[in-house]
Amino acid sequence: MTSYIVRRLLWGVVLLVLVSALTFLLFRVLPTGEPARLRAGRFASPKVIAEIRNDLGLNKPLIVQFWLYMKGIFLHLNLGYSYYSSASVRSLIADRLPATLSLTIGAAVIWLGAGITVGVISAVRRRSKLDRASMGWALALISAPEYWLGLIVLYLFAADIGKLKVFPGAGSYVGLTSDPWGWFTSLILPWLVLAATNAAIYARLIRGSMIEVMGEDYIRTARAKGLSERRVVLRHGLRSAINPVMTILGLDIGVLLGGAILVETVFDIPGIGRLNYDAITHSDFPIVQGTVLLAALFIIVANIVVDIAYAYLDPRVRFS
Amino acid sequence: MSIGAAETLPFSSGGLGFLDGAPSPEGGAGPIAARSPRQLFWRRFRQDRVALASLAFIVLLVVLAVAAPLIVNLLGLPGPNVANANLTNAFGAPLGPSRAHPFGVDQLGQDVMSRVIYGARVSLLVGVFGTAIATVIGVFIGVVAGYRRGWLDTLLSRLIDVVLAIPILLLGLGLGAACAVRGCVKGLVQPGLGSIIFIIVLANWTYVARIVRGLVLSLREREFVEASRALGASHSRIMRREILPNLLAPIVVYSTLLIPANILLEAALSFLGVGIRPPTVSWGQMIAQATPIFNTAWWCIVFPGIALLATVLAFNLLGDGLQDALSPRAAR
Amino acid sequence: MSAMMRRTAPARRRGFALALALGLSACGSSGSSTSPSPSSESISASGIQTPATEALSGGRRGGTLTVLNHEDFEHLDPGEAYFSVDYEASYATQRPLFSYEPNSVTPIPDMASGPAVISSDGKTITVHIRHGVHFSPPVNREVTSADVAYAIERGANPNVANPYFEAYFTSLEGSAKARGGPFPGITTPDSDTIVFHLTKPNAQIVLDALALPLSAPVPEAFAKKYDAKSPTEYGNYLVATGPYMFKSNGEGKVLGIGYQPGKSATLVRNPNWRSSTDFRPAYLDEIDIKIGGDTNVIGRQVLEGSELVQNDAVAKSSVQLAYEHFRSQLQISPGAGDHYIAVNNKRGPFANVNVRKAFWAALDRVAMGKARGGSLVTDVMTHFLFPEIPGFEAAGGLAGPKVDYDEHPEGDPAIAEKYMRMAGYPSGKYTGAQTLEVVGSTGDPSSEVAEIANNTLHSLGFKTKLSLVDTSVMYSKYCGVPAEQIDVCPNVGWGADFADGQAVLDPAFNGRNILPTGNNNWGQVDDPTINAAMDKAELIIGTQARANAWAAIDRELVADAAAIPSDWDKEAAIESKDVAGVGDLWNTGTWDYSFSSLK
Repeated sequence: MTSYIVRRLLWGVVLLVLVSALTFLLFRVLPTGEPARLRAGRFASPKVIAEIRNDLGLNKPLIVQFWLYMKGIFLHLNLGYSYYSSASVRSLIADRLPATLSLTIGAAVIWLGAGITVGVISAVRRRSKLDRASMGWALALISAPEYWLGLIVLYLFAADIGKLKVFPGAGSYVGLTSDPWGWFTSLILPWLVLAATNAAIYARLIRGSMIEVMGEDYIRTARAKGLSERRVVLRHGLRSAINPVMTILGLDIGVLLGGAILVETVFDIPGIGRLNYDAITHSDFPIVQGTVLLAALFIIVANIVVDIAYAYLDPRVRFS
Repeated sequence: MSIGAAETLPFSSGGLGFLDGAPSPEGGAGPIAARSPRQLFWRRFRQDRVALASLAFIVLLVVLAVAAPLIVNLLGLPGPNVANANLTNAFGAPLGPSRAHPFGVDQLGQDVMSRVIYGARVSLLVGVFGTAIATVIGVFIGVVAGYRRGWLDTLLSRLIDVVLAIPILLLGLGLGAACAVRGCVKGLVQPGLGSIIFIIVLANWTYVARIVRGLVLSLREREFVEASRALGASHSRIMRREILPNLLAPIVVYSTLLIPANILLEAALSFLGVGIRPPTVSWGQMIAQATPIFNTAWWCIVFPGIALLATVLAFNLLGDGLQDALSPRAAR
Repeated sequence: MSAMMRRTAPARRRGFALALALGLSACGSSGSSTSPSPSSESISASGIQTPATEALSGGRRGGTLTVLNHEDFEHLDPGEAYFSVDYEASYATQRPLFSYEPNSVTPIPDMASGPAVISSDGKTITVHIRHGVHFSPPVNREVTSADVAYAIERGANPNVANPYFEAYFTSLEGSAKARGGPFPGITTPDSDTIVFHLTKPNAQIVLDALALPLSAPVPEAFAKKYDAKSPTEYGNYLVATGPYMFKSNGEGKVLGIGYQPGKSATLVRNPNWRSSTDFRPAYLDEIDIKIGGDTNVIGRQVLEGSELVQNDAVAKSSVQLAYEHFRSQLQISPGAGDHYIAVNNKRGPFANVNVRKAFWAALDRVAMGKARGGSLVTDVMTHFLFPEIPGFEAAGGLAGPKVDYDEHPEGDPAIAEKYMRMAGYPSGKYTGAQTLEVVGSTGDPSSEVAEIANNTLHSLGFKTKLSLVDTSVMYSKYCGVPAEQIDVCPNVGWGADFADGQAVLDPAFNGRNILPTGNNNWGQVDDPTINAAMDKAELIIGTQARANAWAAIDRELVADAAAIPSDWDKEAAIESKDVAGVGDLWNTGTWDYSFSSLK
């Protein structure tokens, strides 16, 4: 078991380095802009631009630049500095992480709850009107573009510009520590939008999984033993049915932690996704690399956790 | 798009239940005629009303896309790029739905209904074409990895791991921004439609490859493949005769379910500003352009959004229908 | 909503305007009036304030003004600041040698004790420093000429990379080799005199440039260690000489205390400022700046709220809202800059002057203006100097010179065809093989403006490839790089650094100023006669004479159709009902913190 964990962790680290290298390469070979020129501003003479290029280390061969970058990360946890402000990438990311965390975890709680509930009920009451209706809604929600849903929701419910002024609108995010109630209310709409699409997916997934599980023999046995239907469904059925969900949950959260850029954009939440978007459009490579690295880290960690969980549950996996 | 979307697909766990065929549903007197899996599939599909309706909708969409100029003409609407400054007020705000412009106009005075109709072209083109290319590449790599095994398999699987670890939207953003104006890969990837398809292919081949690899892995161990091998068939023959035909069904279902995700991806990229460029019309781009004014000019956002919703929904329902028709045991 | 759709009208960047204005529209009337043609809808300017006629003395002393800005500062460091939002803070906290009263575009002595003395050969400028001006804590001591000298010298330091040093200070002796250290062009014979030695007699333009924040004193001993970092960190540790300063700790650290990037900034009174040494009244006690948020929402909050102003570009819908319901809280300031279309004068179809005239005639400038918010915030542009610049009237004023391709702002296809025929296309439309490369910027109204231009090109028979990229990328990677040979840049614009024809015309239209990167002569205009006239006009001393000279150059540029004009901007600013805001005419009408007060 230990050797499996170690192997997975090692591969995770290698993966991180590879992803980093790939991003590095991608953004240097296909730059979105010219960082030295952007930083130098207007009226800068070519010699000033050249000096800035030099200062930013852009003249060294790619390999050397990458090596220095990797050294910085592994030895000092230093992710570099933004090309435009003197802020360190690490501090910028640390600044934005809480917002993304709030958004992701909150939404995940909602979509899990809603998804599981709807999925179980639909599975148990298969082919009923309730089942059809909820699966229909689920499909509709999956099919709608997130950002469009967000805009519609704002149009209807935002306190400042909506028709029914229920929840705070875009741009009202405040940190949890500075104003807990404000934090909570400002996130309700974004949570709902983010959770909506995902809840739908999970509902369908649970439904399918439950249907399969409920047809198994041991369920029949449990019923024959005289257990209450609720116990059968929840204790025995759901417990098995939930497996595939766990895999995907880990990955989904991992992906979102890297920045739910569309929702963050529509609701003006200062998270990692927006940070990344701004950095990409302004060719602020260090930030781009830092955020991509972080996002990849989350995804890889999620993968590892899921893999290890499976290995724990299923010995065959360990030896593959 | 959520990872969940990809992994919930029917055959990701290697389920090839459909190959065993379902018991013949005939009841009643008379001899029971055996039906091939294909006939069974069609039978079930034809009975699925919802799937048929979505297929009809998609066909309608294709017609709209292909005959857009004709239809716009028939409806008496101006073209999608006919700007009319008289249709905005003194502050530049556009006018809403009216007799002449049932869906209203946008900031340039362009007719929204006309643009929605033309927008179908991009969505279909990008969704279907992009997915098709990604599927072909993914199948090729998946088959090679699954059949060959060994170091090649390991290498490819690891490569897939790496690509999957990079957030798609960010990758798309970076590539889209980099390929703007002049294109990249020495002009092979042109900005606009070209770069979107490029990004879709890059993002999707990994999912297809993974699934196909899994399928091939289980197929390899099947009795009929073993039998073929025992009879002395060459690898390529086995590939052609035994493996590929059995991959066809799951691949078709899978890609049909990938199409809507890719349509949404294009819309997202256009929304973020790196997608289709004017004068080509795309629904995502329409939403992006309307975002600053959606408060007062709701028609600029609602109609393209509904178009997107309906299209994606139709493909999703179609894919669901295909999936159900192929393996009735699951989910229904 | 989204700031991402942060395609918001950037408050003006000096020297070039970024055209992105996205205003998420707040409500306003939905589906408003359906006027069939623009001319029948009349917008009247009555009841709207303008900086030129505002009272300079305001309400009460004291109180805190809250500022809602969508855009963040770019640079707090006066040596790096080049953006109207930056200037709002710079001119409240720093005192350049010369500065402005709100209702004027003519500089008056600020850190200087009196007008500058220009030698008879025009090659030496002597300025005396005012006594009794002290730096804020922690430096505290009195300002000397050495501080002013260092402030300008550091402009040449690549770590500071002052955006306009190359434009206005290269005639200082030895500036070409300068790297942040002293050079012969600036000398300080004693602690209250600074002398500038020029290699050519363009003293007027150097003097004008001394009203820019670069000349605000910077204490070398304090700043040197920050200027050694790349980029400089002085912006995080500012010292002030003006009535206000960024809140800081005992060591002068501003970052994290008086300025949270992307979030907020706080200006408090500078304890070492003496009102007897300054022409600024400084009524307010504190200025709280909140950064971010949806421009539409900001507009509503300011107009309906209390003790608030918005101090960057106002959303179109907010302008409409203010005009319709809060007219006395709206201020419109002319002369905020212009927008035009740069076409490649060196290569391709637009190298032919008649093709350029055809494009000029065909373009619907009224539609372009409408995309930006209509006649309240734009005037149709008819030549290249703009309102408030000396020489504007002599060059034709609002109506412009009488040339036929300028006569019809709504676009005149007949005249366009005439010029195309003169250019050698007998059908009146382009029949060549080239596909034009058009690079614009994303956002609203930039993308709409680019589309209008693109459609106009189609109507002339051209085939085009339109690309929209982020504004800074458009300038730094495509339009500002001659080697890329972009054919049409529809989203360029200009905001003058100061009120002199040279600041408007020279960087954009002088062939000498075509740079390989960071080029502002986007059209690569290079007419030897015009170049020579500009070089001569540069050396003229005296406002009236210069005005006439540059007006004549403007007429030449019109005759040459060097670029295709679009609109002159009038910038809107809004305040709450209990704010006695005073707008700066010389800074796109933004509210002046040192003159504004609460009622």
